[in-house]
Amino acid sequence: MKITIKAFATLRDAFGGRGFLTIELPEGSSIEDLIRELQNLFKLEAELVDLGKSASNIKILVNGREIRYLEGVKTKLKDGDVVAFIPPVGGG
Amino acid sequence: MSKLSPEELERYDRQLRIPSFGEEAQLKLKSSTVLIAGVGGLGSIAAIYLAAAGVGKLRIVDESIVELSNLNRQILYSTEDIGQPKVLIASKKLMELNPLIEIEAIQERITEENVEELLRGVNLVVDGQDNFKTRFIINKACVRYSKPFIYGAVYGIEGRLMTIIPGKGPCLKCLIPGEPKEIEKIPVIGSAPGLVGALEALEAIKLLTGIGEPAVGRLLVIDGEALSFNSIEVKRDPKCPVCGRK
Repeated sequence: MKITIKAFATLRDAFGGRGFLTIELPEGSSIEDLIRELQNLFKLEAELVDLGKSASNIKILVNGREIRYLEGVKTKLKDGDVVAFIPPVGGG
Repeated sequence: MSKLSPEELERYDRQLRIPSFGEEAQLKLKSSTVLIAGVGGLGSIAAIYLAAAGVGKLRIVDESIVELSNLNRQILYSTEDIGQPKVLIASKKLMELNPLIEIEAIQERITEENVEELLRGVNLVVDGQDNFKTRFIINKACVRYSKPFIYGAVYGIEGRLMTIIPGKGPCLKCLIPGEPKEIEKIPVIGSAPGLVGALEALEAIKLLTGIGEPAVGRLLVIDGEALSFNSIEVKRDPKCPVCGRK
C-alpha cells in the first residue's frame, strides 16, 4: 500500500528537503512500522528517533487526526493515508 | 462626547469603521500594555501593527544589537542601524509611526530572574523569541501570573501560532512536552515571520478588545511552500508540569 508522508520543518530537511513523499508499506502496517521504515531510509538524528514516543515533541497526524487520539504508534494505516509529521518550531 | 481625541478618531478611522470594533474597542487598546518579548523577525512586525493600532503602551524587551544578517526579516531596522541596540531603534521607529502611544524599551535578555518584573502591569505577552528555552521561561511565568501568551514561531517558510490563556487551554509545555534541540541559526525567509507576527498582533488585539475567537487549544500550522493553513487541536495535559492541575 502507498502512504503519503507530509513532513514539516526540521523533518522536511531530514527527508531530503521534500515536503511530500510516498512510501510503499506492506498491508496492515502501523505508524510504528512507518517510523521504522523512515529511520532506515533517512538515518534520522537522535532527536528525531523519539518519533511516536509519548513525550515526543513531534506531532503525528493520520489524515489530519493526531495519533495520540487514535491508537498511538499502533494506529493501523491503509492505502492512500496521509501521515503528517510536525516537529516543534522555535525560530523568530 | 468621545473619549478619543480628534487626532485619534482620524488616525484610527478605518479600524473604528469595523462594526465589531468601534470606539469602545479603541479605548480598550489605549488603556492596554503589551509586552513584546523580543523585537526580531516576529516582534518587529507585531510591534509595528500594535503601535499602529493604538495599543497604549508597548514594553519592548531585547538584549541584542542589529546585525546585517537580521535585515532579511527584522523590518524595523535599516542598514544604517547595524551595531545599534534593537530596542533603541525600535522605540524610535515606533514613536515615529505613532507618537500617541508610550514605548518602554528594555535592553535585557529575558531570564528566570527578571521575567516577573517584566510581566508586571502587562495585559498580555507577544512571543518574539528565537529559542525554546526563553519561551519556556515566559510560558511558566505567564501561567503563574495568569497572563495570556501568544506563541508564534517560524522555520524556513513555515509558521506556527497558538494563543495561550492560562486556565482556559493548553500552555506551551502541553504543546511541546520535551526540550527540543535549539538551532542557533534558524533558516527563515522574512515573509514567514511577517505573516506570523501580523497574526500575533491580530490575536493580541482580539484578546485586548474581546473580539472574535482566539486560537486557544489549536495550533495553526502554516506551510508556505504549499500555501496551506491548518489548525490542529491541542488539549491541555492534566499532568503538565507547568499548568497541570495540582
